[in-house]
Amino acid sequence: MNQWLDDRLHLSRLNDKFLRKAFPVHHSFFLGEITLFSLIVLIITGILLALAYEPSNSMVLNSFDPGTADKPNMLPAAYHSTLKINAMPFGDMLRRIHHWMANIMIAAAVLHMMRIYFTGAFKKPREINWWIGMLLLIFAGLTAVTGYILPYDNYAYSTVKVIYAITASVPWVGDWLAQAAFAGRFPGDGIIPRIYGYHIMLLPGILLALTGAHMLIMIKQKHTQPQYAKRLAYKKIVGVPLMTQQTPIMLLLALLFTGLVVLFAAFIPVHPIEYFGPPSASGVDNIKPDWYLLWVFGALAIIPGFEWEVLGGVINAEFVGAMVFPGIVIGAMFAVPMLDRSKDNQYYAENPTNHPVRLAAGVAFMAMMIVMSVAGYKPELIAGGLLTTQNANTILWILTFLVPAISYFATIGIVRMIRALREADERDSLAHAHADD
Amino acid sequence: MTRYKKQDPEITRRKFINVAMGTGAGVGVLSLVSALGSAKPAFRLTAEKAPPLKGDVLVHADPAKYGQPIKPSELTELAIVAYPMGKAKDGTPVIRSAEPNNQIGVYKFDPAQLKAPTKIEDTDNGIVAYSNTCTHAGCFPKSVQGSAIVNCPCHSGQYEPKEGCRVLGGPPNKPMPQLGVKAQGDQLVLTSSFLTSPYGYKSDEEWEAYLKQAEELLA
Ligand code: FES
Repeated sequence: MNQWLDDRLHLSRLNDKFLRKAFPVHHSFFLGEITLFSLIVLIITGILLALAYEPSNSMVLNSFDPGTADKPNMLPAAYHSTLKINAMPFGDMLRRIHHWMANIMIAAAVLHMMRIYFTGAFKKPREINWWIGMLLLIFAGLTAVTGYILPYDNYAYSTVKVIYAITASVPWVGDWLAQAAFAGRFPGDGIIPRIYGYHIMLLPGILLALTGAHMLIMIKQKHTQPQYAKRLAYKKIVGVPLMTQQTPIMLLLALLFTGLVVLFAAFIPVHPIEYFGPPSASGVDNIKPDWYLLWVFGALAIIPGFEWEVLGGVINAEFVGAMVFPGIVIGAMFAVPMLDRSKDNQYYAENPTNHPVRLAAGVAFMAMMIVMSVAGYKPELIAGGLLTTQNANTILWILTFLVPAISYFATIGIVRMIRALREADERDSLAHAHADD
Repeated sequence: MTRYKKQDPEITRRKFINVAMGTGAGVGVLSLVSALGSAKPAFRLTAEKAPPLKGDVLVHADPAKYGQPIKPSELTELAIVAYPMGKAKDGTPVIRSAEPNNQIGVYKFDPAQLKAPTKIEDTDNGIVAYSNTCTHAGCFPKSVQGSAIVNCPCHSGQYEPKEGCRVLGGPPNKPMPQLGVKAQGDQLVLTSSFLTSPYGYKSDEEWEAYLKQAEELLA
């Protein structure tokens, strides 16, 4: 039987090439795996949700509260079906798992990227995989945003309205672009079917294809080796093979982690659509995007309004805040591998303290993201009396640059200290070693 | 020199393939673009989607009282959010709520408090109406309890409705436009649409052209 299968499917080749792939033993290498597990759980829960969801924004009679014959209670079908999902056994739970898993997937992806960045694993020959990873991050964000819109409650409605406005703010082609992307002027009759198509077909398809490419390249190029591998066997691959050692570890991790998220979902409610209600004329107070987009929101909040006319197109604050500026940030992240000029292939994960500038730049970058995310809470900061409408922008702008600068120099200082200590240690032990002779 | 140059057939073949691939890619992109063109549906103006028009009656947008005409006696310094209600071709009333940017905030102040740039001739005894769509990214602002200032929840834009809804703070760069309004018996009637370009229009000219088109289409 094995022979029969092997003759046809070349299983032994598969075994040698893929199933024997060695995994480095270090906990930070699990971050990518967690991202992958989340994607799998997301797809499974997403399929289950799609079975009960009705992708339409036409109005239907509210089966929970039909109203009277002359004053029927009508709701958008998408919102109504989400209410029904909530009423299903474990329906609300399913939505929560899907939601929290998405948040955790992005968090794990960000941490995974941080490991890659701080250990220099993006260097030659792994630049392509860094770029694919960036694309994965962008498309994961887009998938999350489109997912937010599907319940079509008041929150989703306000969200998609702002996203439409941002799309329409592109100079020259904005109107066309927004109408093409959202099936007509906001809110077009086909807006929910359109976004449903994006969220369950287009974007997951892209995510899966990119994930496949990401992993194939990783298998081909092998992981960077942790430092201990250098001492153990120089320039040799050290680690446990996928079959049969890594697999049980992975399974255990996946189950443990999924269990945790389920527990999480059991206790922390999410996006209470009953509370927000169907799309309505009254806006939602304190509306905020998810944490990973808060920095864009913050940038929008502190860029003062302006409008320039250039050759018949209008360049305004929204476009700059929500498109140009994030474009620059993402562009900078894309460019990371190009800043490295090394000719040799990178085998070993580097100790971040041996690369103080890279480390400090990364820390400063994250500090900037955090300050801008805090700027997203401008209305709360004003309401809380910490800032006033008059000085909020100035103060937040100063912090946006000051805090990263301080973090940069502080990191460099700390790294110098660590290295000085380490060198002193080495000198010490060397001196003692001689004394012992 | 050229006379002796050897023609290498390999290169011409490669050239041929390159040109063929280039043409193929060009045609592909063109057809993709034309296919994408179908992603944008045509816009059909209906009475529900029309902008507020002269003669429309203001009705409550609040779900609790949705569709009931707003009475002048209900008005205060805090915004009451309204939709314009006009008539369809066959004369039946239609609430123009399919265009969310049609939201209107109605206020009543002491007439002496209203200052320029409010267009006083378009107010009625202290009753004044403005668009209720933030000119920044189109969120729906609300009155701040007790101070008669309008506050946008999204990026904390603030407007002063006693002074033409001028921007007091935050990112918006133009005021929310005023509409002409008049009390007629127990109802509020619009004497004009938005007086300047509302949210979603790049310039006053673009807005006026659209308004004229809408008026003609629905007349
Ligand atoms: S949408 Fe009102 S301040 Fe941004």
